[in-house]
Amino acid sequence: MDLFPLWLSLQVSIVATAITLVLGVPVAWAFGRRRFPGRDLLAALVITPLVLPPTVLGYYLLVLVGTRGPIGRVLDTVGIELAFTWRGAVLAACVASIPLLIRAAQAGFEAVDPRLEAAARTLGRSEWSVFWSVTLPLAWRAVLAGAVLAFCRAFGDFGITLMVAGSIPGRTQTLPLAIYDHVQANQMPEANTLALLAAGLVVVLLLGLGRFVRLRY
Amino acid sequence: MLSVALTKRLPGFTLDVHWDAPDMVTGLFGPSGSGKTLTLDCLAGLVRPDAGRIVIGDRVLFDAAAGIDVVSRARRLGYVFQGYALFPHLTVADNVAYGLRERPRAERRRRAAEVLARLGLAGLAQRRPAELSGGERQRVALGRALAPEPALLLLDEPFSALDLPLRRALRDDLVGVLREWGTAAVVVTHDFTEAYRLADRIVVYDGGRVVQSAPRAELLWQPASESVARIMGIPNVLQGTVIKATPDRIQLRWRGQTLEAVNSPTRSYLPPPGAPLAFFVRPEYVRLIRKDRMVADLGHHMNLMRGEVVHDEDFGTTWTLRIRLDEPGPPAQGAWDLEVEVPHLVYEILEIERDRRWEFSIHRGSIHVLPS
Amino acid sequence: MWVVKTALVCVVLLSVALASPAHGAAPPTLTVFAAADLAFAFRELVPRFERVAGVKVTLVLGSTGNLAKQVEHGAPADVFFAANQTFIDELLAKGVLIEETRALYAQGRIVLATARAAGPKLTALSQLLEPRVRRVAIANPAHAPYGRAAEEALRASGVWDAVKPKLVYGENIRQALQFVESGAAEAGIVALSVANVPAIEWVAIDPALHGRLDQAVAVVRRSARPELGAAFIQFVNGPEGRATMKRYGFLLPGEF
Repeated sequence: MDLFPLWLSLQVSIVATAITLVLGVPVAWAFGRRRFPGRDLLAALVITPLVLPPTVLGYYLLVLVGTRGPIGRVLDTVGIELAFTWRGAVLAACVASIPLLIRAAQAGFEAVDPRLEAAARTLGRSEWSVFWSVTLPLAWRAVLAGAVLAFCRAFGDFGITLMVAGSIPGRTQTLPLAIYDHVQANQMPEANTLALLAAGLVVVLLLGLGRFVRLRY
Repeated sequence: MLSVALTKRLPGFTLDVHWDAPDMVTGLFGPSGSGKTLTLDCLAGLVRPDAGRIVIGDRVLFDAAAGIDVVSRARRLGYVFQGYALFPHLTVADNVAYGLRERPRAERRRRAAEVLARLGLAGLAQRRPAELSGGERQRVALGRALAPEPALLLLDEPFSALDLPLRRALRDDLVGVLREWGTAAVVVTHDFTEAYRLADRIVVYDGGRVVQSAPRAELLWQPASESVARIMGIPNVLQGTVIKATPDRIQLRWRGQTLEAVNSPTRSYLPPPGAPLAFFVRPEYVRLIRKDRMVADLGHHMNLMRGEVVHDEDFGTTWTLRIRLDEPGPPAQGAWDLEVEVPHLVYEILEIERDRRWEFSIHRGSIHVLPS
Repeated sequence: MWVVKTALVCVVLLSVALASPAHGAAPPTLTVFAAADLAFAFRELVPRFERVAGVKVTLVLGSTGNLAKQVEHGAPADVFFAANQTFIDELLAKGVLIEETRALYAQGRIVLATARAAGPKLTALSQLLEPRVRRVAIANPAHAPYGRAAEEALRASGVWDAVKPKLVYGENIRQALQFVESGAAEAGIVALSVANVPAIEWVAIDPALHGRLDQAVAVVRRSARPELGAAFIQFVNGPEGRATMKRYGFLLPGEF
């Protein structure tokens, strides 16, 4: 049986989680640690992908990054295809999972005693150094939890991916899309196999992560 | 040495202070919520004042008018926070070395070891703050702040969380360390004894303002006003009426007594007769007259009074007595007129437990007039 | 030390991720976007075309509405088989499809399907009112032509208001079928072309009750090999293709 969807999903979710971390952690820090005008509004906006129906979200993304869209056209001039490629799937996964990471990481950053950061500042550290040597080490569990959530969400995304990347077998048909396709075609054995693989993979991942985390102590 | 002028407006509170500290150690003393910690935060650059000027030595750290605001990390101040704010994820050694980042590694290690040794922390270098006792944590916080050799050390209630013997020991240690390393300091405390022990000069805060700034002895004996005396927790702050005031002496009426107090020839206070006058008497300076010397010696015993011990409290090494005078009318402080402190030995010898009626005298130099 | 370990793990993960993107085959491919009702018919036709033309075909099924949107926004379809004409015409008007390749390829039929597990076969739309029919599956009328036809038929039969509370919308005709197949819905209105599965029984619905399901196709302008798309259209409308389509209950061009 064709395991391409499994590899594709793994690849897409790993890349998407990496991007989500790079983009989401600074945003989460800004929300949790800095007060600026419009912060609460922005934080609420960040949550909206969780609330909108995925296909609708996917459609809006498609309008932006498709061949007719403003971003799509710009990328086209540099020869980068986003929609209907695995990169589109990554985009969909990022949009789906970034709110989860931001919420979890933000809570972690908020919980760091601000006086510790103040102490670090008086001891001569720049803001960047304060973040890396004090804030992040004290919030790493929350960030990790957020990353796990983000990975799982990215892995399991369906509706947004369906619209932005399409369900093109052998090209953009991720594992969830493939399972769905099999179910629709009433090919239950194939569907069940893939579903079990997905579940098994996540279990292995989380167990492994748990051991890694505990090893730190 | 240190010149501070700060204004900071917060919702429900305004800080507006101005004081200079030519001395090595300055104490900020006052009740909770009077703006002392806020002042430290402004000094450290953690909070930006609305207006003012901060100068340490010849360095201007802040000048609102000139647009100068040196960033916190460049101020070279050490700050020992209330609660210590030790980094829980770092060892003691790493905590102490945290501020030494810019130095070459060898020097970093040397300096950290030196600090650890001086503060008696050498054996704890690899422990985490969670494993330490309160006193140990306090020393780590101190070491961390002192390691980078700051120009000024800021301490916020450094000993408040510790038990008494430890408090005393660390206090003396701190004085020694500051002197050895020539570090100036600003100590915030709400404990007057602590302020007195640590600081050469004390700045008294109340409600966001400075109500007195003076060398410690002057504060002790010449609080600037009745409210300062109350902030200091001085008992026996009393209200009398002026009979006559001369540059040497003030005669006043209080609870049917005619009392005589000294005035300062250099800074005399000359209220008109009949004016209200606040004054205080330190409890340890009210003298009980031994009954085997019943005949009062007027040269020796001034401001004689008679009264009854209506309440006493055992403080271990001393006893605090509450005296009600043999005068008609309501007592000056609720159920009693004067608080008197006697050493335990005196209490026993005079059998005060049994014998409650006494004559008292107060030397005129022990009646301190409070200017209004 | 743990920093080094974490960094190593990250490096390994990222190289796995970015290494072989597994993007899909290189040899000449034809990507066919087809409405869900063509699932069974094209499952037969596509392999045959692959053999005949020596081309690898990627078949993407979905609801016509969704597929149309995707094609409009640059989906890599070479040819688009819609479940009615309107979607094709709209895309033509937007310049997304090649006008000259537009062709009708079939007319669809809807049937009333009953899940075998739900008891005796329903023979009339009015029977949907029976209490034993708790849920009725149709494709979503908003974007699936067969769904719209189902709604039209129900309205024309005067049972729409009564049946509406029982309706379950499938994303597309395949999902609607799946609801009935699995017994989640006791009955449904599905395309004739997908109705011949063991788990359901069906009767035809009078075509006069709904708008014509004239199904059209066109080649996508962005296609890199428009001639392949055109070839496939010709194959479907050719003798072999027509025979297969007829077997699946479609009416063929010329018959309608």
